[in-house]
Amino acid sequence: MGNSLGSDIDIMHIAKLARLKIDEEELERYKSEMTDIIKMVEEMPDIAESLELDADNAMELRKDSLEECGISRDEILKNAPKVVAGCVVVPKTVD
Amino acid sequence: MKLFEYKAFELSDMLRDGKISSAELTKSVLDRIDEVEPKIDAYLTLCGESAMESAKQVDKKRMRGEELSRLAGIPIGVKDNISTKGIRTTCASRMLEGYIPVFNATVVDKLIKSDAVITGKLNMDEFAMGSSTETSYFKPTRNPFDTDCVPGGSSGGSAAAVASGEAVLALGSDTGGSIRQPASMCGVVGLKPTYGAVSRYGLVAFASSLDQIGPFGRCVKDVALLYDCISGYDRMDATSKNTQRVPCFDSLTGSARGLKIGIPEEYFAEGVEDSVKNAVMDSVARLRSEGAEVRKISLPSTKYALSAYYIIACAEASSNLARFDGVKYGYRCESPKSLIDMYERTRSEGFGREVKRRIILGTFVLSSGYFDAYYKKAKLLQERIRAEFDSALSEVDVIVTPTSPFEAFKLGDRISDPLAMYSSDICTVTVNIAGLPAVSVPCGYSGSGLPYGMQIIGRRFDEATLLNAALSHESLMGGFASPKL
Repeated sequence: MGNSLGSDIDIMHIAKLARLKIDEEELERYKSEMTDIIKMVEEMPDIAESLELDADNAMELRKDSLEECGISRDEILKNAPKVVAGCVVVPKTVD
Repeated sequence: MKLFEYKAFELSDMLRDGKISSAELTKSVLDRIDEVEPKIDAYLTLCGESAMESAKQVDKKRMRGEELSRLAGIPIGVKDNISTKGIRTTCASRMLEGYIPVFNATVVDKLIKSDAVITGKLNMDEFAMGSSTETSYFKPTRNPFDTDCVPGGSSGGSAAAVASGEAVLALGSDTGGSIRQPASMCGVVGLKPTYGAVSRYGLVAFASSLDQIGPFGRCVKDVALLYDCISGYDRMDATSKNTQRVPCFDSLTGSARGLKIGIPEEYFAEGVEDSVKNAVMDSVARLRSEGAEVRKISLPSTKYALSAYYIIACAEASSNLARFDGVKYGYRCESPKSLIDMYERTRSEGFGREVKRRIILGTFVLSSGYFDAYYKKAKLLQERIRAEFDSALSEVDVIVTPTSPFEAFKLGDRISDPLAMYSSDICTVTVNIAGLPAVSVPCGYSGSGLPYGMQIIGRRFDEATLLNAALSHESLMGGFASPKL
C-alpha cells in the first residue's frame, strides 16, 4: 500500500481526543489492531464525485418550541452519580 | 406441544377464541425461561412478576369484551439498548449497569398500547458493537442449537430467546447486520426495516444514520405482526419518515408467482462458505419452480462496503458515545481528581475493549488531516452503493444473498481478532449503508446441525413485498425447527 496514511497513527493522541486512557501495555495491541483495520479501509478506491445531499432522506424538523415533557427534575436526577441540592456535582473545575 | 412453542399468530387466535389465557401463556414462557436460561443466558433483566401482572390485566380486558390488538397478551422480549421506563437498560455495558430510564422508547410505548407482555431485557454485544454477543460486559449468550457456539450478534439475546422459547417474539436493533446475522445463526426470522420506518426514539444510539429497530419471530407471519405494531411515523425521531404504509400481515399471500429475484454475484464470492451458497441457491431454485423469475445482477462496490461501514459507524459512535462522561447518568470512577481525570477514567473503566477500539477508530477518521481520506471517501462510497442498489431494484423486486457467510462459530474463536469478527457482516452492512429493508429467513442446516440464513433485500418502505417473498420461501423450505435443549 506504499505510503499508508494510517501507518503513523498516534494512538495516544487519538485516545486523548476521545477522553480515553490507554496504558503502555494496551498500546501495542491497539496499535497493531488499528494498523490492520486501517489497512483494510485504505483499500477503498478514490472517487472523484462530490457529496450531495440526499433529498429522499431529508429530515422533517419539528418547530423549535418549548413543550412539557412530563418528566420531573427529580426523576431525571435519579440516574446522576452525585447530586446535591437538585444539582449534578462534578469535581472542582476552577481553583 | 406446550404453549411457549406456538407461533405468535397462532397464539393470537387461541387467545381471541378464549382457548387459552395470557396468564397461562406467560406462565408457560416463564417456566421455559426457568428451565433453559441457565444454558442460554439470553436475558440481562427478567420481569417475571410484572409480566404475569400485565398478562392478568389483558385477560381481564378480554373478559370484559374489549377490542384488543393481535399482539395482546403475547410475551415479548426487548433488547437491552431500547429504553424501558422503570426497567434497567444497560446496553450490556458497565457504563449503564445501574441505569433506569425515566421514559419509554416509542416502540415500547407501542407494545404497551397493544397490550403485549414484556418478559424482560435481552443480552447483546456492548452498545451493539459486535457480531457474537461476547462483548457483553455481563456474560455471553449461547446458541440454542449448540451451546458451545455463539448466537451471533449484536442482538444475540433476542435471537436466542426466540429460538429457545424464552420469548414468543423479540425486538432487536440492526446497524450493520445485528438483527439478521443472529437470526441466521439461531434459525429464526429477523427483519431490519427501512431506515425511517420504525422510530429510533429511545434506542441508545450507536450509529444514528444506520441504526434501526426491528422484530424477531419464529416465522415470517410473526415478524410481520410485530413490524406492523412498531412501525409508523413518530415526531420524536427527526429521521422517521411520514409515508403511506401497507399493513404487512394482512397483505401476505405467500405466492412467488411473477416475483423478480436478483442474484448479485458479489455476495457469492470468496469469503462465503460453499455450503451457505448452495443452501441459498437451492432455495432460489425452488422459488423459480414456483413461478419466480431469477436473474443475475451486479453490485460492484460491495467489496468496499465493509470498510465504508466501519468508518461511518465508528465516526458516528465516537460522537454518540461522547455523552458517557460520568456526569448526568451511568458509571463514574472512584474519587476523581479533576474533571478531565473523571472523564478519562470513567470512560476507560466503563467501556469494554471493542467499544474503545471503535471510539478510537471513529475519532481517528474524523480527526484533522484524515477526514477527507477516510470519512469523506466512505460517504462517497455510501452514495455509490445506494445508487447501485437503486438501479438493481428498478429491475428486480427483491435481491437474495446469504445472511452470514458462515454458520455460528465457537465461543472465543474470533473474539481476539477484530477483522475476523467484522467479516461476519460482509453480506449485511450494505443494506444499512443503503437504508434498505432486509429479512433473514432460515435456509437449511450445516452438517453439524447449525442453521443457515438467507437474506432477502427489498425496496425502501416495501416491507410487504419483502415479507411476501420471505413467506413463499418459508412455505417451500419449512422454516423454523426447534433446537433440542
